[in-house]
Amino acid sequence: MKAKEFNIKWGMVIDLDKCTGCGACMTACQVENNIAPMVDSSNKLRTLSWMLVFEMSNKKPCPDAEIAYLPRPCMQCGNPACVPVCPVVATDKNEEGGIVSQIYPRCIGCRYCMAACPYHARYFNWEDPIFPKGMEKALSPSTSTRPRGVVEKCNFCHTRLQNAKDKVRMEGGNPEALPDGAYMPACSEVCPTGAITFGDLKNPEHKVHELAKSENAFRLLEKLGLAPQVYYMSKREWVRKLGDNYAATGKPGAEKKHS
Amino acid sequence: MGLDRRGFVKFVVGGVAGTLFTPVIWQSLDDVSIWSQNWPWIPRLNKGEVKSTAALSKLCPAGCAVKVKTLGGLPYAAIGNTANPMSKGGVCPVCAGGAQLMYSPARVASPMKKVGEGKFEAIKWEDAEAMLVEKLTAVKGQEGKLAVISGDETGSANDVFSAFAAGMGSTGFYMMPGEMLTATKGVKLMGGNGQPGFDIAGADFVLMIGADALDSWGATVANQKAFAATRPTGGAATAQFVYAGPVLNNTASVSDKWVAVTPTGASAFALGLANLLIAAGAVSSAPDFADYKALAAKFTPEAVEAAAGVKAEVLKDLAAKLKAAKAPLVIAGASFGQGAGAVDFCAAASLNVLLGRVNVTGGMTVLPTAPKALAAAIGRESALDAGSFLSAVATGKATPAVLMVYEANPAFALPQAGEMAKSLGNIAFKVSFSTYMDETAAMADLILPAPHPYERFDDAMNPYGVAKPTYLAGKPVVKKPVADCKDPVDVLLAAAGKLGVSLGFETYADVIKAKASAVGADLDTLTAGGAWTSDGKGGNLSLGAAALAKVAPAAADPKTLAVAPVTRQAFGSGSLATPPANLLIVREDELTGKDLVVRMNAATAKAAGVTQGAKVKLTAGSGELKARISVNEGVAAGTVAVPMGFGRSAWDEFTKGKGDNVYKILTVSDEAGTGLKVWAGSTVTVAKG
Amino acid sequence: MDRALFPEGLERCSFGKFALWMGFITAFFLFGLYAMLLIFAKGIVVTGLDNYFGFGLWITFDLAVIALGAGAFFTGFLKYILKIDQLKNIINLTVIVGFICYSGAMLVLTMDIGQPIRAWFGYWHPNVHSMLTEVIFCITCYCLVLVIEFVPLVLEQKQLNKIPFLHHLAHNMHVNMALFAGIGAFLSTFHQGSLGGMYGVLIGRPYAFREGFFIWPWTFFLFVLSAVGCGPIFTVLCCTFMEKLTGRKLVDFKTKALMGKIAGTMLTVYIFFKILDTWAWANNYLPSVGMTFDQMFYGVIYGKWLMFTEIILCGVVPAIMLITPSIRNNPTLLYTAGILDCIGITLNRYLFTVQAIAIPLMPFDNWQFYAPNWAEWATSGMIVAYGFLVMSLSYRYLPVFPQEKMLNK
Repeated sequence: MKAKEFNIKWGMVIDLDKCTGCGACMTACQVENNIAPMVDSSNKLRTLSWMLVFEMSNKKPCPDAEIAYLPRPCMQCGNPACVPVCPVVATDKNEEGGIVSQIYPRCIGCRYCMAACPYHARYFNWEDPIFPKGMEKALSPSTSTRPRGVVEKCNFCHTRLQNAKDKVRMEGGNPEALPDGAYMPACSEVCPTGAITFGDLKNPEHKVHELAKSENAFRLLEKLGLAPQVYYMSKREWVRKLGDNYAATGKPGAEKKHS
Repeated sequence: MGLDRRGFVKFVVGGVAGTLFTPVIWQSLDDVSIWSQNWPWIPRLNKGEVKSTAALSKLCPAGCAVKVKTLGGLPYAAIGNTANPMSKGGVCPVCAGGAQLMYSPARVASPMKKVGEGKFEAIKWEDAEAMLVEKLTAVKGQEGKLAVISGDETGSANDVFSAFAAGMGSTGFYMMPGEMLTATKGVKLMGGNGQPGFDIAGADFVLMIGADALDSWGATVANQKAFAATRPTGGAATAQFVYAGPVLNNTASVSDKWVAVTPTGASAFALGLANLLIAAGAVSSAPDFADYKALAAKFTPEAVEAAAGVKAEVLKDLAAKLKAAKAPLVIAGASFGQGAGAVDFCAAASLNVLLGRVNVTGGMTVLPTAPKALAAAIGRESALDAGSFLSAVATGKATPAVLMVYEANPAFALPQAGEMAKSLGNIAFKVSFSTYMDETAAMADLILPAPHPYERFDDAMNPYGVAKPTYLAGKPVVKKPVADCKDPVDVLLAAAGKLGVSLGFETYADVIKAKASAVGADLDTLTAGGAWTSDGKGGNLSLGAAALAKVAPAAADPKTLAVAPVTRQAFGSGSLATPPANLLIVREDELTGKDLVVRMNAATAKAAGVTQGAKVKLTAGSGELKARISVNEGVAAGTVAVPMGFGRSAWDEFTKGKGDNVYKILTVSDEAGTGLKVWAGSTVTVAKG
Repeated sequence: MDRALFPEGLERCSFGKFALWMGFITAFFLFGLYAMLLIFAKGIVVTGLDNYFGFGLWITFDLAVIALGAGAFFTGFLKYILKIDQLKNIINLTVIVGFICYSGAMLVLTMDIGQPIRAWFGYWHPNVHSMLTEVIFCITCYCLVLVIEFVPLVLEQKQLNKIPFLHHLAHNMHVNMALFAGIGAFLSTFHQGSLGGMYGVLIGRPYAFREGFFIWPWTFFLFVLSAVGCGPIFTVLCCTFMEKLTGRKLVDFKTKALMGKIAGTMLTVYIFFKILDTWAWANNYLPSVGMTFDQMFYGVIYGKWLMFTEIILCGVVPAIMLITPSIRNNPTLLYTAGILDCIGITLNRYLFTVQAIAIPLMPFDNWQFYAPNWAEWATSGMIVAYGFLVMSLSYRYLPVFPQEKMLNK
């Protein structure tokens, strides 16, 4: 299958050598996207975390152990595994920019997309979004609340894209050529170390354009051919190796890069 | 015309078929689908104008300069303030969820008085304030009868509280333990006066001994920004970072190297480095260099390996790197932000003196004493610690009748927590000025709800760790607080007036105005999100050899394990339970269900006879902590890493009863030569349970 | 007391005994019904499913019963299209088993989706690229076909058949049954295939993903073959089970052996291709995505023994048993082979459903474990109980087995 191509391709380059794993991105994401706090948040198999920070380990014994933190938003795959499987077209990758959408009122909650996604980027609303009394006053105007029984996922804070376009339009600019930084998801904006660089991968004026081509850049599970729009980078080889399975060659840096 | 059976059937069949050709059924099905999204119990979004207002979000210990996004005047999110030179657009995970904390279910809704064990009754502010005045009147002029515990390190509220205590004839103003208290004492041991600072931004080699500088130590976001500036994404790093501490924590994860130093080995490790540096030719003009040199000579690589668990080649390599660096900086701190001694601080900080890195760019600085808003206030350098005070209460050496607690949670966040809480219980009348129903408020006789940072005036003078004198201030974002609360300082000033204690101010806002003008800062610039800084520097430092002579490598008891509490900014602090918007950040190897998860490496686990997932009890003295084991190689040998901030007994459904409180198993001892209480070297026995 | 309703000339147990039996089964049914209502009220949060295991017991159950229910379409195809007349002795049973399996599966699916109220969106907003859309269409259509095939049997009930209109209706439906059998065979082949295709297209799940022919991954064809390789023998097992329960002979062994031969032949073809497919998957596809065969398995509950059990013990072994006449013609061995066959196909469906999504693909992720909870078991049990109820009523009141009278003289 060939990846769907667009003139604009919103993407991230996440510098894992800068991510301290503090979790501010997860908090900002939860706030922006109105995810209700859960009483048993330690049950990670039932929580909703559009952005999730994984801990990676080089698996060496102390004192040679090393760890790295890997923030995982939706990869917005160029060739998404989740989109073609949806029986009711509740998710699509059609709009300019290549963001994989999710239409909550359309979703029937069959979870086929979740089974399809190897990144576990899709989440199911096991329960209705009930906020502690009063906290609904602090709902963000950006994202509608979702009822129980539907699947949801990161959409690169899509409302922010609309807002950025509106703003540029009002200022007489071209909304199809947003300047670097005009549109940023909440996680990228909040990150205290600026580990998440966001922009249009196809626009040479955006930092991500060059960063994604760096020799230290890689994508998660590159070999599966899903062509994610989220890139990671690290100078540590063991980190790059943990981005994919390298059973065949033992070496990271796949020939399939940059589709 | 009658309707026979055939006609009826025709009518029904025709009707059904006909209806199928109209949009009625399909439209209603479509409506059902929309309707299924809109159940009344599913909250709808609010409408209104979106604005953003600068605020000082003192939810994390250092305080973040943020912009609060409001919708129709109500906060819903916090983003960084790029204009602020401290946080430069970054936000810590706690402040990022600040708007949600305004509506925390743990908020105290109105003044309350205790009417029985764990039972409170809401009362009016007039009654609450009258009660406060009445209790204070009874202890006026009696030394030792009034005590104040503050958990806010930076606010001018401390000036007011300490000046008030003095006006009441009491010297009982105490601070909750933290780096600021210890380090300021450490600076004294090195012949200086003032609070130390560390210029991470200017250094090219940063060795953090203990200090979790990139996640929970000092002005975290400023540190993270300084770190990030040395690592341009896609470019070459301009500085190296090394973390030396017992746990491969968040700071260590992004450092170029983690050196596993046992919880009791930090001083030996630092002096071992000094020894190698001196051997490699380092000299200092400090007057006590000769003593220092002789002292350091005892810390040979072999001795350090025995005391700190660090291999000789690692130590040598590190010493060589420190020597080679143009602008090295050593940050001294306890691995969990408290509990280490002033001598421990001295050991690590002396490396900066040895390397000639004091009061230079990219080095360690000593900040000049900050001006006070009230003349009678107690300065930071002479603050007393709350732990010693409560120990004195326990032994009957101190007998306060009234205790005021401000932004602090001594019932939870002091070592030997069980005994401390008992001591607190011995005090006849306790007033808690608290935004949230924390463990201390739950024990108090009177709870006076404090506003959330978005609802109050507040300031921050020299947050710990900043390299230059720094002052921040903020004003309310919202018109009206969510709860029926009053600013504690305003309440105190009003009470002072009634008690005839003249403090010279009517409101906290006035105090801050006075502080700003004493500092020479423009308050409007500050409340608009700016910061005031100056280049003022404190004096020179010695190597602290006299104090360091007391450093003795601790003898490890093979039957016990050293406790390394692990702090993470996102989990809150002693005075803030994990906020609702941060719950997801807690990993499964930190909390599983209601079980706290403690970590130790495979070799340690094997020696302790425990396996992955096993339930254990960690015991120290009368304190006991229940947990599960996670085998993790990111913990130094002979050490058990315990997440901090769990095991709440008050707060809300999200945190109450989740995990266990590590403070229960931290044991206090006296630091030789300084009289400080220390608990960084606590040990425990592990038993299956 | 209900003797008048019995099929012509056949004996049935006393009404009291029957009522007791039905009551016993109904208890299970009601327990499952309670679980179902709870699920509709509170959502599937009451099940053991989670973010890692969006599919679990229910989907495995669905796929298994649909495969096992394949006896209906395939036997129909052989009987009505290929005119293998001997199959008339068992064709009614295959239809009832098929009907139970498909209607049960549909009920489970409405529970399984998070928004049952939107179940019809599959038709209203169909995604033509999704194998699941095809499954939704074909399963519901085929279920209708099964209803059409089941109706004449109901109409042949002794009392109903006395009504001339119904008698003629049933007769005419019978005459045209070849048409429905044809439609059924077409629909069924497609959705059996699409169920396999559902997994085969999962590009992000190396355990399941397969290359293929045109738009159909190899699993499409393998699922069709495996379904026809077990469906017929499952019907035989149902029949034999009923014989044991009732103590009456219902279908002659010759027909059963013929069904065994049919299933065995298809199973042999299937297992041949399955082995080829697995070999190619392990040696070509997996290395191409950097993975190894070993990475697909973990510990005991995700161990390799599952795959060997599926392919060798419950695949090759029953295939050989069923195509060897001397073994097939021994009733005990025939049934043993049949049981192994059905276990093997069920295991195949389980592995594609659960193992495929359990494998942590991100190398820093961990294996997670899934255990269905009581609510999933209870509702699955409800479907089984429902099957027992339908089958009991059919057996008691409908002329299901044309040979019964002759065999029990």
